[in-house]
Amino acid sequence: MSAPKTIPKDAQVMIQILKDMGITEYEPRVINQMLEFTYRYVTTIIEDAKIYATHAKKSNVDADDIKLAIQCRMDQSFTSPPPRDFLLEVARQKNQTPLPLIKPYTGPRLPPDRYCLTAPNYRLKSIQKKVSSSAGRISVPRLSVGAVSSRPSTPTLGTPSVQSVTTKVGTPVSLTGQRFTVQIPPLTINVFTFATPSTPAVSNVLINPSLIGSKNILITTNMVSQNTGGESLKRKHEDDDDYDAL
Amino acid sequence: FRAVPDDGGLVDADEDKDIKTEASNDSWGNNNANDGRLLSPSPGSSASAGSNKSAAGASEEQQTLLAVLQFLRKNKLTESVEILRREAGLPEDSLEPKGAESSGAGSGGASGGVDLEGGDASSLLTAGEDQPDVNVVLSAYSQQGDPALYEVYYSGLKRFIESVLDCHRAELSQVFYPLFVHMYLELVYNNHESEAKAFFEKFSGDQECYYEDDLRVLSSLTKKEHMRGNETLLDFRTSKFVLRISRDSYQLLKRHLQERQNNQIWNIIQEHLYIDIFDGMPRSKSQIDAMSGSLAGEAKREANKAKVYYGLLKEPEIELPLDDEDEEAENEEGKPKKKKPKKDSLGSKSKKQDPNAPSQNRIPLPELKDSDKLDKIMYMKEATKRIRLGPDNLPSICFYSFLNAYQGLTAVDFTDDSSLIAGGFADSTVRVWSVTPKKLRKVKSAADLNLIDKESDDVLERIMDEKTASESKILCGHSGPVYGISFSPDRNYLLSSSEDGTVRLWSLQTFTCLVGYKGHNYPVWDTQFSPHGYYFVSGGHDRVARLWATDHYQPLRMFSGHLADVTCTRFHPNSNYVATGSSDRTIRLWDVLNGNCVRIFTGHKGPIHALAFSPNGKFLASGATDGRVLLWDIGHGLMVGELKGHTDTIYSLRFSRDGEILASGSMDNTVRLWDATKAFDDLETDDFTAATGHIHLQDNSQELLLGTYMTKSTPVIHLHFTRRNLLLAAGAYNP
Repeated sequence: MSAPKTIPKDAQVMIQILKDMGITEYEPRVINQMLEFTYRYVTTIIEDAKIYATHAKKSNVDADDIKLAIQCRMDQSFTSPPPRDFLLEVARQKNQTPLPLIKPYTGPRLPPDRYCLTAPNYRLKSIQKKVSSSAGRISVPRLSVGAVSSRPSTPTLGTPSVQSVTTKVGTPVSLTGQRFTVQIPPLTINVFTFATPSTPAVSNVLINPSLIGSKNILITTNMVSQNTGGESLKRKHEDDDDYDAL
Repeated sequence: FRAVPDDGGLVDADEDKDIKTEASNDSWGNNNANDGRLLSPSPGSSASAGSNKSAAGASEEQQTLLAVLQFLRKNKLTESVEILRREAGLPEDSLEPKGAESSGAGSGGASGGVDLEGGDASSLLTAGEDQPDVNVVLSAYSQQGDPALYEVYYSGLKRFIESVLDCHRAELSQVFYPLFVHMYLELVYNNHESEAKAFFEKFSGDQECYYEDDLRVLSSLTKKEHMRGNETLLDFRTSKFVLRISRDSYQLLKRHLQERQNNQIWNIIQEHLYIDIFDGMPRSKSQIDAMSGSLAGEAKREANKAKVYYGLLKEPEIELPLDDEDEEAENEEGKPKKKKPKKDSLGSKSKKQDPNAPSQNRIPLPELKDSDKLDKIMYMKEATKRIRLGPDNLPSICFYSFLNAYQGLTAVDFTDDSSLIAGGFADSTVRVWSVTPKKLRKVKSAADLNLIDKESDDVLERIMDEKTASESKILCGHSGPVYGISFSPDRNYLLSSSEDGTVRLWSLQTFTCLVGYKGHNYPVWDTQFSPHGYYFVSGGHDRVARLWATDHYQPLRMFSGHLADVTCTRFHPNSNYVATGSSDRTIRLWDVLNGNCVRIFTGHKGPIHALAFSPNGKFLASGATDGRVLLWDIGHGLMVGELKGHTDTIYSLRFSRDGEILASGSMDNTVRLWDATKAFDDLETDDFTAATGHIHLQDNSQELLLGTYMTKSTPVIHLHFTRRNLLLAAGAYNP
């Protein structure tokens, strides 16, 4: 501990509290953390109490308001575990059911898919577009650098916005200056989504970020594919509808 | 009308004497009737008051009736009023012994007791009123004695206990702590803050030293609102503190409390304490000290009576291929080349069932896959090369220090064959390292998998991605420090439990997270896979331990009963039982089949952080913050050994592969080895011991200690014996 006279009074109080609670070893910054917490907590309570006092049309905040404020905050932020009799009751019910039998030879034993975290957590939107004009040049108009996009509904991953699909096609270059097309060597076609293994045909373009040299690339609705016929695109569109329906 | 005390609790205006309440609390004998706790109703016989007792009694009951009348009138039950008045107008002997029922009638005796100038006593004086205030009468129901007199009662009891014979004193002193806490809580609950503080200051110093932490928590609790959020205290208040006292000592106590004006204490004892009486000699102080310390007293006898199948399951019969021991063919198929009798070094040689072992299908267990069979073959091979340990043949210890962890290492686990280490950190990551030179590889992505030749012989290696092979892998996913880690026995999965309330299952083939099991909504302090895989147990701040199966998103069993957080969870080697250690300083053994608690072990003086079952399943070792390792016999439910030596919390315990050596690692930067065979030899466990709790612990810690090994300021968090009995230890370097 540094010289007591240079420590503000609040910190001295906090040190004393820690001593009273039997905590003897702690890092010095714990005092700061505790003081911050105390300050925030007390401010919140007093503000709440003021609101309750004005609601009750009282001119001054009194002890009842503070008590009410503390109670409400306790139930909100500092919840405590359920009481023992409740736990005993729940346990009794749960322990009555016999242990389920184990089915043999089922591979990895995991819960149903919707309770697992194995599903892809991103979604790639498809577009109804055929790359007609640009021969050998794959334009990826969906590359929005960072969040800069002239479109109001930035089609980032996962947002269920459908409308942007059709109109974007075909004018890759002539968009606002922030957009740019990228020359991508015609390769690296990977299947992103495991959920649709039945479309081995090219569905997405993998953009190697190092080619682009910018940090925030949102792979938006890049469904540009080189050699897909109409039907695969249509197929993708259906899938996209499925996604949107989720 | 139980609220009405039979002596009225009200001093009649003209009578200024001590109206002592007697032991007319027979109505309370209904809770936990123990032999001899039921008091014979003797409202007047053991009274110490003098001749005017009957008169006093009559006027007390009169007062009661008047109170009842007033109550009925207040609630406009006029007809009842009439009937009662008519009936009550009759002389006393026709009165129903309503008055004989008393509730916490101590208040009456209290205020009418010694100090008539007590503040509350005067409020109860009905000077000038011939009809008692009904509120005053009803307030007696809230178990409230005169707060100023609590100190008097307690001192009175203290004096009495100090005056009894030595042999009884130790046992009766057990009453002090629970009585003190309950009286204090009662004062706080009824908003007598200053009296509570004075009471605390006066008597808290007398309590046993091992209750110091609890007392400190109590000292900060001065208002009723403080009690609201503290679940542990509320549980303490509602559950019964168990004391085991011999019959003679109990008779002494009872006699004392019945004959003096100690009703308040008697009420508290009857309401909050469960006195388990045994016939036999009173226990000595050291015996009592060894077993006490938990938040709920000791364990009742019935709690430890259920039959526990502590034997091991029979090992499945696997043919051991007798290739040359030196060249271990990496034959993936593992077909036995010759049919030879199996090397049965593990399983039981006899065909008949061990009576103490559970049957094979007591709980459903996953069947052995081919890869499991291969593992078992490897295991048996390694077992033949195992070093026999003993007092003259100590294991070598290999220490894995985690550098630059900055006190963030919170959990460590090794796989059974010691090929992988996993560490859980306070920054919510889990890292897996390979201990062997073989790197960690994950399975290739789906596109690459399409390209490989599925028919080739080494397809299992081809599916692994060489490009991203590395010594360690980081698993991110939790949103809070990771407090528990466990590998699955088949090395396919890793479990981690965290402060964010979830338990996550990670795949060690793809190094991704597969499932998050949500159930505890509070930090989960420990988790462990069962030795047979498929099941795992987790325990956390919500005071329950849960049993899960990997393919169910909800727990299968909930083990509820602890009074405070569950800090440590371990499976028994036969997977039929789970041991949980808790902050309430008890260890409970639960049956997986029906979720019942079959054993309660008390004796530690601090939260328990380490548990280890012996390989033969008969014994349990536990370590806590008090620095002691306690050994328990599961079959009898008794403490059989105490190993003193560590000076700080013990965070890890492990038995060697054949159970000869017990290794313990602690925050005091040491690993200690103890002689387990000697500790479990010559045990005096018989029915008498089990019944009375008369344990005879030998003070032989020094003889059992085989070695102390210091680390360089590195607390030892995890211990693991390899299959060949080399001891591995892990901890984070903490300069």
